[in-house]
Amino acid sequence: MDEDIFDKKKQHRERHAGRKAEKKKGKNEHQQDLTAQQRNPKAFAINSVKKAQRQFHRAQDLKTKKQHIPLVDRTPVEPPPIVVAIVGPPKVGKSTLLRCLIKNFTRQNLSEINGPVTIVCGKKRRVTFIECNNDINSMIDIAKVADLCLLLVDASFGFEMEVFEFLNICQVHGFPRIMGVLTHLDYFKDNKQLKKRKKLLKHRFWTEVYQGAKLFYLSGMVHGEYQRTEVKNLGRFISVMKFRPLQWRTTHPYVFVDRLEDITPPQDLHLDQKCDRTVCFYGFVRGVNFKNHCGVHIPGCGDLRVRDMAFLPDPCPLPEKLKKRSLVDKEKLIYAPMSGVGGIVYDKDAVYIDLGGSHSHKDQKLDKGEDENEMVTSMGDLQAGVDEKIAQSQVQIFTDSAPITSVDAESFKLPSVNVVVDSTGRQRRKAVFSTADEQVMIDEEEEDDSEDLDEEDLDETEAEDSKNTASMVNKSQTVQNESLIFDESEEEDERRSIKKAVRKSDKKISPTKKLRSKLADVLDENESEVEENFDSDAEYDLRDVSDRDDDGSEEEPMRKKAKVVSRRTVQTGNDELRKKLKEVIESVESKLGNQVKKKNRKVSANGLEDLENSVGEYDSDIMTGKLDKEDDESDEEEELSADEEKASDEEEEASDEEEEESGLQWKTNIAQKAAEAFYERQAVGANLRKLIYGSTEQTRNETQGEEEEEIGGLFKIASRATLKANLVTMDEFDCTKWSNAPIQDFTAESVLESVRDCFVTGNWKESENAEELLRMDDDSDFDMEGDFEDLETGEIHKVSDKDQKAISDQEDSDPINKKTSTGPVDEEAERQKLIEKKMKLKERFDAEYDETEGGGQKSFYEELKQEVDAQANMNKSEFEGLDDEIRVQYEGFRPGMYVRIEISHVPCELVSNFDPTYPLIVGALLPGEENIGYVQVRLKKHRWHKRILKTRDPLTVSMGWRRFQTLPLYSIQDHNMRNRSLKYTPEHLHCMATFWGPITPQGTGMLAIQSMNSSEPGFRISATGSVVDQDKSTQIMKKLKLVGTPFKIYRKTAFIEGMFSSSLEVAKFEGASIKTVSGIRGQIKKAVRKPEGSFRATFEDKIVLSDIVFVRTWFRVDVPRFYTAVTSLLLPASEKNKWQGVKTVGQLKRERSVRAEVNTDHLYLPVLREEKVFAPLVVPRSLQRQLPYDYKPKAEVAAPLPGSKRDIEGKRVAVVLEPKERKVLGLMKILKTRYTERQDKLHKEAVQRIKEHRKKVEASEEQKLKRQRELKQKVSRVLSKMEAKKERDFGKIRKKKR
Amino acid sequence: MSSSNIYQGSESFRVRLVLSILSGRPIRIVKIRTQDDNPGLHEYEAGFIRLLDKITNGTKVEVNETGTAIYFQPGLLVGGPIEHDCSCQRGIGYYLESVMQLAPFCKKPLKIVLRGVTNDQVDTSVDALKCVFFPILRRFVVDDEGLDMKINRRGAPPLGGGEVFFSCPVRKQLRPFQFLDPGLIKRIRGTAYAVQVSPAMANRMVESAKGLLLKVIPDVFITTDHRKGVGKKGSPGYGIVLIAETTKGAFLVAESSSNPINSGKPPSVPEDIGLEAANRLLQEIYRGGCVDSNCQSSTLLFMALYQKDVSKIMTGPLSPYTIKFLRTLRDFFGTQFKVETKQRSHEEEDLRTGCDKVILTCIGVGYTNLSKTVA
Repeated sequence: MDEDIFDKKKQHRERHAGRKAEKKKGKNEHQQDLTAQQRNPKAFAINSVKKAQRQFHRAQDLKTKKQHIPLVDRTPVEPPPIVVAIVGPPKVGKSTLLRCLIKNFTRQNLSEINGPVTIVCGKKRRVTFIECNNDINSMIDIAKVADLCLLLVDASFGFEMEVFEFLNICQVHGFPRIMGVLTHLDYFKDNKQLKKRKKLLKHRFWTEVYQGAKLFYLSGMVHGEYQRTEVKNLGRFISVMKFRPLQWRTTHPYVFVDRLEDITPPQDLHLDQKCDRTVCFYGFVRGVNFKNHCGVHIPGCGDLRVRDMAFLPDPCPLPEKLKKRSLVDKEKLIYAPMSGVGGIVYDKDAVYIDLGGSHSHKDQKLDKGEDENEMVTSMGDLQAGVDEKIAQSQVQIFTDSAPITSVDAESFKLPSVNVVVDSTGRQRRKAVFSTADEQVMIDEEEEDDSEDLDEEDLDETEAEDSKNTASMVNKSQTVQNESLIFDESEEEDERRSIKKAVRKSDKKISPTKKLRSKLADVLDENESEVEENFDSDAEYDLRDVSDRDDDGSEEEPMRKKAKVVSRRTVQTGNDELRKKLKEVIESVESKLGNQVKKKNRKVSANGLEDLENSVGEYDSDIMTGKLDKEDDESDEEEELSADEEKASDEEEEASDEEEEESGLQWKTNIAQKAAEAFYERQAVGANLRKLIYGSTEQTRNETQGEEEEEIGGLFKIASRATLKANLVTMDEFDCTKWSNAPIQDFTAESVLESVRDCFVTGNWKESENAEELLRMDDDSDFDMEGDFEDLETGEIHKVSDKDQKAISDQEDSDPINKKTSTGPVDEEAERQKLIEKKMKLKERFDAEYDETEGGGQKSFYEELKQEVDAQANMNKSEFEGLDDEIRVQYEGFRPGMYVRIEISHVPCELVSNFDPTYPLIVGALLPGEENIGYVQVRLKKHRWHKRILKTRDPLTVSMGWRRFQTLPLYSIQDHNMRNRSLKYTPEHLHCMATFWGPITPQGTGMLAIQSMNSSEPGFRISATGSVVDQDKSTQIMKKLKLVGTPFKIYRKTAFIEGMFSSSLEVAKFEGASIKTVSGIRGQIKKAVRKPEGSFRATFEDKIVLSDIVFVRTWFRVDVPRFYTAVTSLLLPASEKNKWQGVKTVGQLKRERSVRAEVNTDHLYLPVLREEKVFAPLVVPRSLQRQLPYDYKPKAEVAAPLPGSKRDIEGKRVAVVLEPKERKVLGLMKILKTRYTERQDKLHKEAVQRIKEHRKKVEASEEQKLKRQRELKQKVSRVLSKMEAKKERDFGKIRKKKR
Repeated sequence: MSSSNIYQGSESFRVRLVLSILSGRPIRIVKIRTQDDNPGLHEYEAGFIRLLDKITNGTKVEVNETGTAIYFQPGLLVGGPIEHDCSCQRGIGYYLESVMQLAPFCKKPLKIVLRGVTNDQVDTSVDALKCVFFPILRRFVVDDEGLDMKINRRGAPPLGGGEVFFSCPVRKQLRPFQFLDPGLIKRIRGTAYAVQVSPAMANRMVESAKGLLLKVIPDVFITTDHRKGVGKKGSPGYGIVLIAETTKGAFLVAESSSNPINSGKPPSVPEDIGLEAANRLLQEIYRGGCVDSNCQSSTLLFMALYQKDVSKIMTGPLSPYTIKFLRTLRDFFGTQFKVETKQRSHEEEDLRTGCDKVILTCIGVGYTNLSKTVA
């Protein structure tokens, strides 16, 4: 140890100053720790305010450009499979790709793919694949539901029209994600060419979708499949693809049907093969919540209403627990019911094992001899069993009446009895009818809970009735016995109505439950008597009921009579029973009295009467009629209150006689108690829902009104509900004000106390109480125990242990504190509590101030976003914990649920001509969208469509879920907002189109096609647009000029006829401005009597009789009311893409080679103008005389002077030659011509010659000159030489001289 | 076309027609007062149908000879400037309530003048609607420009002679609505009106109402509104409307008015009326909630007519009218409200805040104003 210590080397100490330190410093390069802005702030200062502002502005612009209006995120927790559609023209490899993708995801090879295939492709992703065929109807439907479209393009061929058509369809219907896939790339042998092609196609694709849209290349086939890696990549892209919500689909729920089942009863089918079917559609709910019983549209079929909906277990669920990163093979589920894979199919009430898939032995079946299966198949073919055939037999009672079938008689059957023992030990016999009747029964039981007594005696009459029914066959029965034709079940119904009557008339028999059980015993003894008494009674009332159908007016007296009779019978015939009843009632009464006291309800029985009055019909309504008591029975609380109610009912009656005896003490405070009791009852919250809605089916029945069943075309069964309603609430006073609400007397101090804390002057909630909050604040300061952070200096002050101790000492010394802090645990808990409170406060503070940037105010956008987020969270969390059954009632079927939609009245062709390759969609309609009206759309003819569209020509429109044909009227809006009708769509301009069609939300995309036929060349989409407005009337105007002529003119006033046909018309146009053709303006003043329809008008100037006067008016054009849904799905397979609705007039004419008859007046003819021949101008002599000389007409030209040239020439005589002379002359002429010709030639030659000669002379002259010049030169040279010599010599001499 | 609903009797007559218009589903009502001494539709109901016809375009109404059955095929709401003389059998409130329910969904902003009885004993008075329903309507339509209501003249039964102007902007869709905490009542306001009677009546009513209300809160202020008669048109009457306003902007109202002249009832005493109104207001406060019991149904209707989102509200006990309304609403739109009694939290346990409250939750039906024109 010691050694270790000593062994330890001295540690290195770094130098901080001195030479070494400096040296080291020099080694490290200096690092700049300040930013440029910090170092040189001036450089970053704002130089130009304007520039800075512009910069800021731009930054803000860019920022806000990125912002979108926040939408509430309605995607469910477990979303439905995404729909991936494989689209493209024929023979591009769609099916191959689909097969490859399925194989890629599931490792299964599907031999035959029909309809949608759902696959679990990842931990959180399911995909439904669907192949879209080349029908434009299919393309439209697919574009409406697909989340992702794989657009296949044959690269060897290039883009085809279908591709562009589909892209356009997508654009109109919200533009789902689109991914291009190029196939047939192995066609190109040359790599360079391939590259070029790829690039070309890519860029074209980008212009259509968006720049940088994903385009896949499938380079070639291996063994008839695409290359595995490429498919895998494609698959990966599909499984990570993100989608943005589309407007239409986030507001409309829909189901992409992957299976359908015809559940029409076979007997109906047997009767009529083409009867309307009841069909079940299966699929995942997509979009938003799907409400039960809502209206739906099936594109290609029509508008329907959902009869029922149920959710089923998911056939293709996501893996529940994930252990690994990827899916286990077991979890790679596939569900393709129409392709025959997927094994088990779950229905509402059954599970089917599908054996018709890939494992089935179809071929073997075919191999077997047909005769072997004959019997089985014939059995399968049987449409109706023996029992059904019996069922079809008919009995006719009267010649005029409709025959009674056993279907009718079905309801004659005795209901089987289902005994249920409830919690109180009472036996309730539930009559189980065939479904329809069952409901009625339930209703009755609810209503007549308190009347079981009556029921029970009445039940005894059944035996009697059955006897009667036996006699039914006898046609000799008189009308009196008509009631007997009813079977027991109905009889019973009738009797119940009677019972009510009985109860009304004789209320003393209204029992409580205990009383009831006792009575039952009594009644057992009295069976026979009761039987007799009520028999007659029953008969009577039956007649009453049948009468009721005949006439409403007779109803009332009859019923009264019935009451009287029933009362009489009860009174007279039932003496014995009555005695016993009284005994029982008395005993029960005493018991009840005790019970009431026990419950501390001081209100006596009589008091309750007043209570009843104050609470009004409200209570009676709720307590007797609407409450679903059957369900409530299990609920003890409810039972009790109900019991009380009944007790009160009974007591009320019983005490009528006793009222005088009892004192009046109970009357004090009655209203108060009644009110309290009322609110108490409402407060039993669990039943609030039932109180409002009842059991779901019951009220549904009510709302459906009285669908009175008819039996044998003779008698109607008046449903119980309606009778009851008649009596109580049907005509209740319609007033929002709660007029008969229970009222307490608030003048009493005690009552007033009950609302004391509703006011700001009362006690506040602890969390809101200012005093409390302040105190808490102080506490929390203490709680800090002296620790605090000085925000200005950033120092943290901590209390030293000593101080802390002091504080705690102080606390200890405080007696109150001491008391509270009994133990360390308590102290700890309290502290924890305080800390929690503090945290909460801090959170709140943070939320308010810190979160926003720079502590500033939150922007509007942020706030909006937050609001939307909160709403989305609320949507998710609100119904989270609830059971699916109930949840579905509140919010409808969530997207992602697998549902079964039952729809009745489906055209049989949908089922019989069903083809799984055509997509089948059930799209829900929102309220109001089921209606029809005038829809106005802003529309533009497609650039690629060859011809402009003519107004009122049929057009097939796809809008919302629907595809339909209609006759649009085109119009354009003038500057004064007038819609002027157009004959044709403008060439490159938007216009309005108005048509009679389904009402669709504004802003919905719309697509128009002239003909569905794919064989037609060219671009099929003729126009696109979006909905602007809808109305029930239109205001499209057409210009109209009315023409009239004046028949009398006074200065500026003229009377004009022929413009209108009656003075009424004129009156409508008074004050309208008119105009003549020459442009004189005027005004219509007033109609005149004589020629009907003529009027007085004033003009700005005098017009003439020959003027034409016209008025410019506008005439409303009607839009044809034509709308028909495209029913392409109802057509047989071969004709599915050839749906043809209304044809255009042109088409019809062409087909029938009808030519329009030409109005000859409309033809253009050559204008013939005759030359005008004017009469010679004659100037009268007198006038002539007055004219100056110049203007006087000169009579003749003067005769030429004799001997003058004019005279001679004028006198020359024409010479006529003899033939010989002429010949001579001709010859002479020829000779002369030849001579001149010759002369000419000679002259030309001479000229030429002279020219040449001149040239020659010139040349020789030139030569001569040249020679002379040279000679001259020579001479002068010699001369100059001589001169020079002379000069030299002379010079020498002079030198010498010197 | 959509299938029609069939109903019986005259109960919830307005609601059925209003919902029919909003949902676009035709209805048939049969057996209207067949058992009554005065069978068939009453004058005020016929007037109501006429009013609806004015607000809508393309409505078809068929009434049978006796008036005991009608078939109503709704058109589209158009709105615009409208004038209507209401039947004096019922107050203007009877008509105005329904008009207010329809107003935000018209094509053009509604500007309606209604003439008739402004205050009576039966219907919610126009004052009450203005004070209570307006704040709620304001929460649903995003900004309240163009939302206005004026009482031009007052009219008491039986002759009426009052006039009310109401205008409402048009919305494509409403705002979601969550209102769970009504807060505490901070003040009480009110109007005491007297038509063709001595102004002293109004003051006497105020006195007696204040006497009770001042016990609970000091901030009580009641204005008096005395109107002279307009010629021979009107009839005398007086009454008082009291409004309680909470810290969170919830309003509760109660009213009381004199017996109409020639009704066979003895003339009312102003003090009694004042006291009755105050008592009713306290009763309303006892019931509590974020909306008044008169407006429950309208509020719930607007909640249901939203996008497919959750709306939530707390109310006092549901009035019978509301319950019926909820049933009818389900028939037309398939909307069911989740109804639960509000559980008192720990800190609220010993507060004296009247009776138990109800929380209503629903998911909207995805309703949009189909008649509004987009640009």
